[in-house]
Formats: sequence, structure tokens, C-alpha cells
Amino acid sequence: MEEPIKKGTVTSLSSMFPAEDAQKAAKRVQDTITEKQQELDRVNEFIADNTNLINFVQKLPEELHHDIMVPFGKAAFFPGRLIHTNEILVLLGEGYYADRTSKQTVEILKRRGKDLESQADSLKAMMKDLQAEASFFNATASEAAEGLVEIREEYLEEKSEKTSESGLPKQDSSLSEANNFKDEDEDEEYARIMSRLDELELEELAAESDNWDDDGKQSNTAENDNDSDEDKQAKADFDPFPDQSSFDHNLRHPQEFISTKPLQQTKEITTSEQFSDNHYQQNFTDQSCTGLTVQAVPKDAMSHGKALAHNANYISAEQSLVLPEGTENVGTMSSSGKEVSAQTSKAGFDSGKAFTGSIVEHTHNIHTSTEKPSGTQPSKPVSRFKMQRK
Amino acid sequence: MDSYRQEKIQKFEEFVDRRLKPDLVRAIGERDKVFEQQKIFSDLRRNIENFEKNSVTSLRTLVNLGSEVYMQADVPDTQHIFVDVGLGFHVEFTWSEALNYISQREEKLSRQVEEYTRLIASIKAQIKMVCEGIRELLHLPAERSVHEPVF
Repeated sequence: MEEPIKKGTVTSLSSMFPAEDAQKAAKRVQDTITEKQQELDRVNEFIADNTNLINFVQKLPEELHHDIMVPFGKAAFFPGRLIHTNEILVLLGEGYYADRTSKQTVEILKRRGKDLESQADSLKAMMKDLQAEASFFNATASEAAEGLVEIREEYLEEKSEKTSESGLPKQDSSLSEANNFKDEDEDEEYARIMSRLDELELEELAAESDNWDDDGKQSNTAENDNDSDEDKQAKADFDPFPDQSSFDHNLRHPQEFISTKPLQQTKEITTSEQFSDNHYQQNFTDQSCTGLTVQAVPKDAMSHGKALAHNANYISAEQSLVLPEGTENVGTMSSSGKEVSAQTSKAGFDSGKAFTGSIVEHTHNIHTSTEKPSGTQPSKPVSRFKMQRK
Repeated sequence: MDSYRQEKIQKFEEFVDRRLKPDLVRAIGERDKVFEQQKIFSDLRRNIENFEKNSVTSLRTLVNLGSEVYMQADVPDTQHIFVDVGLGFHVEFTWSEALNYISQREEKLSRQVEEYTRLIASIKAQIKMVCEGIRELLHLPAERSVHEPVF
């Protein structure tokens, strides 16, 4: 079948490998395998007999005579003795016999044993090949029976779906915003990013004061347009967050943290505490370890929708990253925070600096990634906060 | 009615193939085994008669140790023979006793052979009957008594 829209072919596997034929072939191969198995068993028996005989023949010359029951035909015995215990008559094949001593006979038998073993090895190799073949046939037969089709499509450069990751395991948010993200055009996202950047600027200015909540709310309103859906759903997941604003607030905070004074950081710490307490304890620390860059990746996943919760996680993680250094509240923070602090030192965050490029970048990336669920950082100019890159 | 006949025919054929033929094969196998035993004992008897005729007292033989590896063995006194009487027992006989036993054994064996032959014959007859039935059904789908099977 030809797909008119997408150039490609759909071939049903059953047309290439009819199910019945594949099954018959599989059965044939199976029969051959059983045959080979039987032969292998026979050869193994011979090998075992040979080894026993070697041991036996070696013991014989120890005595001059051995008292035995001499068989006479199949149904009668004579009591007698084995004499000339060192002289053995060996059949060489084709009616030829050789008179040998016990030692020489042992050598003959050992050579025979080696021959048998090489035979067994070759049989085993053959069986392995046959088994591979059989498994292939079985797989094909089952696939053909299921109606599997082989679809070939030419690769066309398209606006790829931003849905890359399947979401972080930790997150169990039921955000369906991911769909929203996917559906949005890049342009729209870009516009949102720019508007967000503007909001962030405002927040930074307002961050001088302690009215964080207000800022958050403002940013919330601004951002609600962009990811209100996500936020709402994210909020739904987060019990501790009474409303979207708080969530947005937290989202904003990391950025604020970076650009704001340590004071604000402390405030952030408290909020981040809420975050960390609420959600993302250990997970974050693991991620925060690698710094913000790691977060970028999961953020992408988040962008798919689960992200919001993740975003919160990351943001809080960032917050914890940022905060612990400068503040005593670090101790009060969840353990994750503490661990984060260790990481933060890695990040090289200097509370004294207004901008810590790496951190800032990541937070922006979070947002951008959420808006634009692409696996990589947006190529567009992210923000003017992009001062330094780690 | 035709389909009914077809069914019947198929059933007959299946019966033949699945029950009668394997039975036949098995019966023939059993009879062959008895033949073998008969041969063994007749050989033994001939040998013992040979001993008696030539008054062989001692014997030099080659004993198979396994995998066709032989070793010389000597039998100093051939007067006493241990004969397998079944159920894993071997009874020590003198020559004349052994001959006596062997002839009795041979009688029993030939009786067994006769039984198996009779069984095989009956199975063969059954197979033949079923085949005839199938043939009749095929040749006379509508009428039964009109035509007689051709011999």
C-alpha cells in the first residue's frame, strides 16, 4: 500500500513471509534440531563409554588373572578367568584387528575419544545455528500471524513533535499541558518567552522589596496566559500549593533568586522549602547534583506536560541550590536542600553576584523548555539574563 | 447422505490408520523378539551338543570388554554352564541338564510365536474388513445390494 501523504510503503509481513509457510519452516527446523539432538546424545554416550573403558583397561594389567564369568552367547555364562591381561585385541574397523598392550590400547581409545568430542562439538555448533534459524522463523511466523506490517517512510524534515521524553518517572502529575505545548507553534512560544522575560524584568525590579508574593502574582497573571493550563494542572498535583500564584511564584523565584540579593534568596529558601517539603525531595538532589544542566533535560520532559510538576521540582531544586549557600535556612530545608547546597557550591553560586549565569540560564531554560518542548535548548535568544554560561 | 458416507469413510480410514496398523506393527515386533530368543537358544543348544561330541573341557575365548576391545579369557572347566532362565536368574547346569532346559524353553518360545502369529493374522483380517467396507461405500454410494464387490 502506498501512503499518498507520506511517501512510504506498507508491506504486510504476511505477504513477504506467509504465516503458514513460516510455521512449516519453523517446524522443519525444529525436527532437524531434534534429530541433531538425538545424534548428539548418542555421541555423548559413546564418549562416556569410551572414558569408562579407558579406566577399565588401565586397571586390568594390575593382576595376572581376573576371575570372571565368560559369556557364551546371549543366554549362558561360563565361570572362567581373564588371562594375558596385558594383551588386548582392538578392532580398527573393516575387519582389521590389532594386538596391543594395555597402555597402547589406552592411547588408541584416547584418540578415539578426541575424535568423538570434535564430532560432538560440530554437532553442537550446527544445532546452535539451527536454533537461531528456528527462533527467527518462529518470530516471523508469530509476527505474520499478528498482522505485523513493515512500514517504510522516507525521512522528511518536519517540525518534529516536541514530545521527546516520556516524562520523568518521579512525576505522576496528570498534566495534559504537554499536549498544549506540542500544539503550540514555536512562534507563540517565542512570544510567550519574550513576555515572560519582560515579566521577569519587572519582577527583578520589584524584587528589591519583600513583596515577593505580589511579584509572583503578577508574574502569575502574566504567565497564566502562557502556561496557565499547565500551572493549573500542576497545581492540582501539588497539594501544598493552594493556588496557581504560589506555583508561579515559585517558578519565578529561581530567576528572582539569581538576580536578587541574598535577602530574597532567603525568602526563596522558605518558599523552596515548601516546595521541597512538598514534593521533590530526593529526586531533586540527584538531579541537582549535576547542576542546572541536568535540569534542562528533565525540563524538556516536563515540557511535555508532566513538566509543570517537574518544573516546580527543578525550580525548587534550583532554589535550594542557590539558597543553601548563603542562608541558615538551608538547615531547615529538607535534606534535599542540604544536599543541594553541596551541589550549589559546585554551581559556583556566589550570593554576592546579582547574576549567576548558569543558574539563570537554567531557570530560563526551564520555562523555555516548558514552552517549547524541544529536546535541546532553544536556539533563539533566550534572555538578556544570559550573562554567563557555565 | 453423501456427506454422511464421507464421514463414515473417513472414520473407517482413521480407525485403520490409528488403531489397527500400529497394533499390527507392535505385534510383529513382539513376534520378532521371540524369534530372536529362539535363535539364541538354538545356538546354545548346538554349542553344547558340540561340546559333548568333542568332549571339550576347556575353552579359550575372546571376551568383548566394550567397544570391540577384546581380551583373552580361559575357561578351565566347561562342565558347568550358567543359563539365563529369566527374571535375572542364572541356573548352574551340567550339559545334559542344560540341554533339557533348552529344549523345554524352545517349546515355550514356539508356543509364544504361534500366539503372536494368530494375533497378527486377526489384526490383518480386521484391516482387510475395514478396507472392504470403505470400498463398498465408495463404489456403491446409492445402492448397496445391487453390486457385489469384485474379487
